Amino acid sequence: MKKRLDVLICGGAACIASHSHDIKSKLIEKINEKDLTDEINIVETGCMGPCELGPVMVVYPEGSFYIKIKEEDVDEIVESHFLKGRPVKRLLWKTPEARKIVEEKKQVSFFEKQKKIVLSNCGLIDPENIEEYIAHRGYEALGEMLTSKTPEYVIDTILNSGLRGRGGAGFPTGLKWKFTKAAEGKEKYLICNADEGDPGAFMDRAVLEGDPHSVLEGMAIAGYAIGANRGYVYVRAEYPLAIERIKVAIKQAKDIGVLGNNIFETDFSFNIEIRVGAGAFVCGEETALIASVEGERGQPRPKPPYPANKGLWDKPTAINNVETLANIRHIILNGSEWFASIGTEKSKGTKVFALSGKVNNTGLVEVPMGITLGELIYDIGGGIPKNKKFKAAQTGGPSGGCIPIQYLNKPIDYESLKELGSIMGSGGLIVLDEDSCMVNMAKYFLEFCLEESCGQCVPCRIGLKQMYDILEDITLGRGKMEDLDRLEKLALTVKTTSLCGLGQAAPNPVLSTLKYFRNEYIEHIKEKKCRAGVCAALFIAPCENACPAHVDPSSYLSYMSDGRFREAYLCHMEKNPFPIVCSRVCPAYCEKKCSRDKYDEAIAIREVKRLFADWAIENEMGFAPPLKPKKKNIAIIGAGPSGLSCGFYLTRLGYKPVVFEALSEAGGMMKWGIPDYRLPKDKLKAEINVIERAGVEILLNSPVKSIDSLKNDFDAIFIATGAHNVSEMKIEGSDLKGVQYGIEFLYRANGGEQIDVGENVIVLGGGSTAMDAARTAKRLGAKDVRIVYRRTKSEMPAQIEELMGAEEEGIIINYLTSPIKVIGKGKVKGLKCIKNELGEIDSSGRRSPVPIEGTEFIFKTNLIIPCFGQKMSKGLDVGKIVLNKRGFFDVKPETMQVTENGIFAGGDNINPSAVVDSVAHGRKAAVNIDKFLGYDGKLFDKERKVVEVYYDEEKYLKTIQRKKSHFSNIEERIKDLALEVNMGLTKEEAIEESRRCLHCDRGEPVIAEKEEAKLIKIEDML
Amino acid sequence: MSREEILKKYEQTSDNLLAILHDIQDNKDEHYLTKEDLKNVSDYLDLTYGFVHGVATFYSMFSLKPRGKNIIRVCQSPPCHLMGSTTISKELIKILGIKFGETTKDGLFTLEMTSCLGVCGVAPAIMINDQVFGNLNTDRLYEIIEEKRRAK
Repeated sequence: MKKRLDVLICGGAACIASHSHDIKSKLIEKINEKDLTDEINIVETGCMGPCELGPVMVVYPEGSFYIKIKEEDVDEIVESHFLKGRPVKRLLWKTPEARKIVEEKKQVSFFEKQKKIVLSNCGLIDPENIEEYIAHRGYEALGEMLTSKTPEYVIDTILNSGLRGRGGAGFPTGLKWKFTKAAEGKEKYLICNADEGDPGAFMDRAVLEGDPHSVLEGMAIAGYAIGANRGYVYVRAEYPLAIERIKVAIKQAKDIGVLGNNIFETDFSFNIEIRVGAGAFVCGEETALIASVEGERGQPRPKPPYPANKGLWDKPTAINNVETLANIRHIILNGSEWFASIGTEKSKGTKVFALSGKVNNTGLVEVPMGITLGELIYDIGGGIPKNKKFKAAQTGGPSGGCIPIQYLNKPIDYESLKELGSIMGSGGLIVLDEDSCMVNMAKYFLEFCLEESCGQCVPCRIGLKQMYDILEDITLGRGKMEDLDRLEKLALTVKTTSLCGLGQAAPNPVLSTLKYFRNEYIEHIKEKKCRAGVCAALFIAPCENACPAHVDPSSYLSYMSDGRFREAYLCHMEKNPFPIVCSRVCPAYCEKKCSRDKYDEAIAIREVKRLFADWAIENEMGFAPPLKPKKKNIAIIGAGPSGLSCGFYLTRLGYKPVVFEALSEAGGMMKWGIPDYRLPKDKLKAEINVIERAGVEILLNSPVKSIDSLKNDFDAIFIATGAHNVSEMKIEGSDLKGVQYGIEFLYRANGGEQIDVGENVIVLGGGSTAMDAARTAKRLGAKDVRIVYRRTKSEMPAQIEELMGAEEEGIIINYLTSPIKVIGKGKVKGLKCIKNELGEIDSSGRRSPVPIEGTEFIFKTNLIIPCFGQKMSKGLDVGKIVLNKRGFFDVKPETMQVTENGIFAGGDNINPSAVVDSVAHGRKAAVNIDKFLGYDGKLFDKERKVVEVYYDEEKYLKTIQRKKSHFSNIEERIKDLALEVNMGLTKEEAIEESRRCLHCDRGEPVIAEKEEAKLIKIEDML
Repeated sequence: MSREEILKKYEQTSDNLLAILHDIQDNKDEHYLTKEDLKNVSDYLDLTYGFVHGVATFYSMFSLKPRGKNIIRVCQSPPCHLMGSTTISKELIKILGIKFGETTKDGLFTLEMTSCLGVCGVAPAIMINDQVFGNLNTDRLYEIIEEKRRAK
């Protein structure tokens, strides 16, 4: 009897693990209580897919999609939805971007791009009720084949459909059946491979749990085709629920006569038995699986002979994967042409992927072959959490490889993945973001195969161990460059000489990461650096590792928590002489990697720094110049952050360097590029004064014409001329008066000029310069300031704090808009723009903006400020030094030396970036200049010690929100260029905040004892 | 169920070996196989003792050492790791006072690692005997262990 409402509650293993059974019993209890049993039908289904949102539930006829239901929500759902017909909106799926409530399941972005064939019944029917399966045309295909078609017809149909094995290798299923049928012997077998062992793959489990009959029907049809009367399902013991559901399904199928003897009253008999594994990954390999079914150790056997000829008990055997078999009935029912119309030329039909890792929507998805990785990860998967950057997709589990960002637009099928050095595998897809270390990832998968190797053949047993040891050395900072060649050779040997698929594929993760992420290996070896902050042996703490200058927040936060400002300041100065500047303008790479972010919120490291930085200036902290300077002359060109940092550290190394500055004041971009409201100029001046007092001589208004002119008088030269030139705008009308480039505009404003900006100002671009220009224009009196940016908010390179500040100040931002023409005669009158939409994913992993024809419109304006990036400063004749293609200096990253001996370069003239990057260059150059001049380059040479302060775990190891900065009044600040926007924290707040530090630097022993290493290894992974 | 009763359920063919070993092991509170078990099984299936021993030691789910009433298996797959299985492992070591591969003195718990449990969507996950627990955090873990302790 049809009831008023159908309530489908997910009974997949993931939802059960989130207590969907408790919800179900509570629902039943409540419905009984309200006497609704005649009106409401409650069904427990198989996996619906979006596991991380579980427990999930769909209520038909509306199709309301409930997520993350808790027991206490049941009352409200019954009262409001079931009784009064009003779905409980707060529990319905919301789209990730807009937090818009989606009322129907089919509108949910997760489902929109999917095409469900294999999973069509999962989440829709009760898997323990054969009648529901039959109602969805269950066993119809089997009946039709047995009663009216020959086995040859079945094989031809599957052959023509183009179906290929879904277990990974992609062998044509029809062909496999043909071979098995043609093989000699009366007795034949069919095995369903349900030993799904790849980490991160769980589609077979979902099918077995959600639609077990589709697998049984596929097996029976296969049995009929190849002439087998007995089939086995070999399922891993880690899936108890799947085992239970197949058992139930087999019994029900036998009871109604669709399995067993004389099915559909024909001569054909087919019986299915279950064989349960016992925790051996290698048993997924077909010959090992056969050995295991026979009751032996699961060790692979050499091929040929292939199982099609000599398989189980030496009889012809076809082995098919769960997903392959679940496709069969659909092909029979809808025809091979229908199936062949889906997918790509060589890979037909759909594929189920298990999305996991760093992606917003994890779970099972079924998509047509040929979908791009980008669509899978961004459209269906909802993108990367926390706006982090995508790094790679790992497909095919431990036998697969990693695919980097430039292939996001590559259609996925068996061939394309192989071409990229990965495999389809069982369909596991683990998304990795910037926080994943590729070397460690390769090590993790290798370790997995090493442990799962059956030990029978030498290449796999010993070769993998050798490879593992090399990777271990690299992640511990003991690697050598020649290790990479050895690793590659070993990998190829293991790949070509191992007995079975496990060994042959095990080197894939290593080979593919060596291919696409070789620079990460080299960084680990040469620079002892793990950019993702995973290989703990290579750094002090994640914050320190993330900082280009390797400033050590763990230490100074410890000092601050004790109120020891002086020591905190000195600690900072060892690595970076600009604490005032960096506490105000740094993008704070350290905070983005703060371990506390996983717990509640990252420490406000930058704001704590501000306290001791200001304190040091107020208390006139300083450094004495070298008493007996080394008798070498060093010239620095440019008094920006890089040049001054180099100068400061040279004084600590015993020199008295000279800085040549072309402009009338020192500071470079800190002075001329950054407005007062972000960095007060008196504070900057005080900080530069510390450097001067330490022994750096700055010559203002002293441009250097050529490098050669300095060579006679100086023993070493550091070039830090910055990038004060602009990338030009190329649209029509760019030469009109009233087009003023961002950097030039800021120069004038920061130099104190009162610029007449007019009423309407348009700023083009989305970086820091654009924000600074727009906010400065506002402060100079513009009424209407607009930022025009071609992409969307989430792709903007500006810091979020700047963006929010601009919005608060009433600056309008037009996203997805591009300028096409400057309008005016002699003078700017307006700007013609066009709207964009997001198109294909480009090689940077972002969707490229595509103009929409017919959406042109005009802004009225007299001042357009394009901010499109910087180019190296002009005016210096570099002589014989070779520049790179982009027109910047090429330096050796280890020494900062350019192509000529004794000449070093750093800062924006290598690559325009943040102040702290320039500081790092300057310091590194100082050390290497000292070495170049014949000394040891030792700066503050003392061993790092953990700062001992009392740490109250009880008090600070619970959720404590991050302290928020105080901000100046919006009305006041938009009238005053000099009024600082961010006022920082109070002293008490800063000390309290520093106590939230988790002290990762105290962490675990870096190289642990063997026994312990077992435990730490998972930590090091990824 | 006694060993003899278990054996009688199965046909005397060697392909039943894994199923019999599972069955015997699951019917003991200590979740393990004794030498005597292996001997009896080998006699019943007409296999050598060495063969049966070989099989029992090949598969990671069989144990020849007594284990706890509750076998806690912590999933070691990358998705679980990404979501914090390390913390779960550390916490379990702390709560139970044992390392991986060990059994508590009261015989209630054994701590083991497992390959992927296939519930990556609700990572981090553990399995206690046949029951899977997902979306774990420290508080939830304490509750589960307490519940199991009370159920003894």
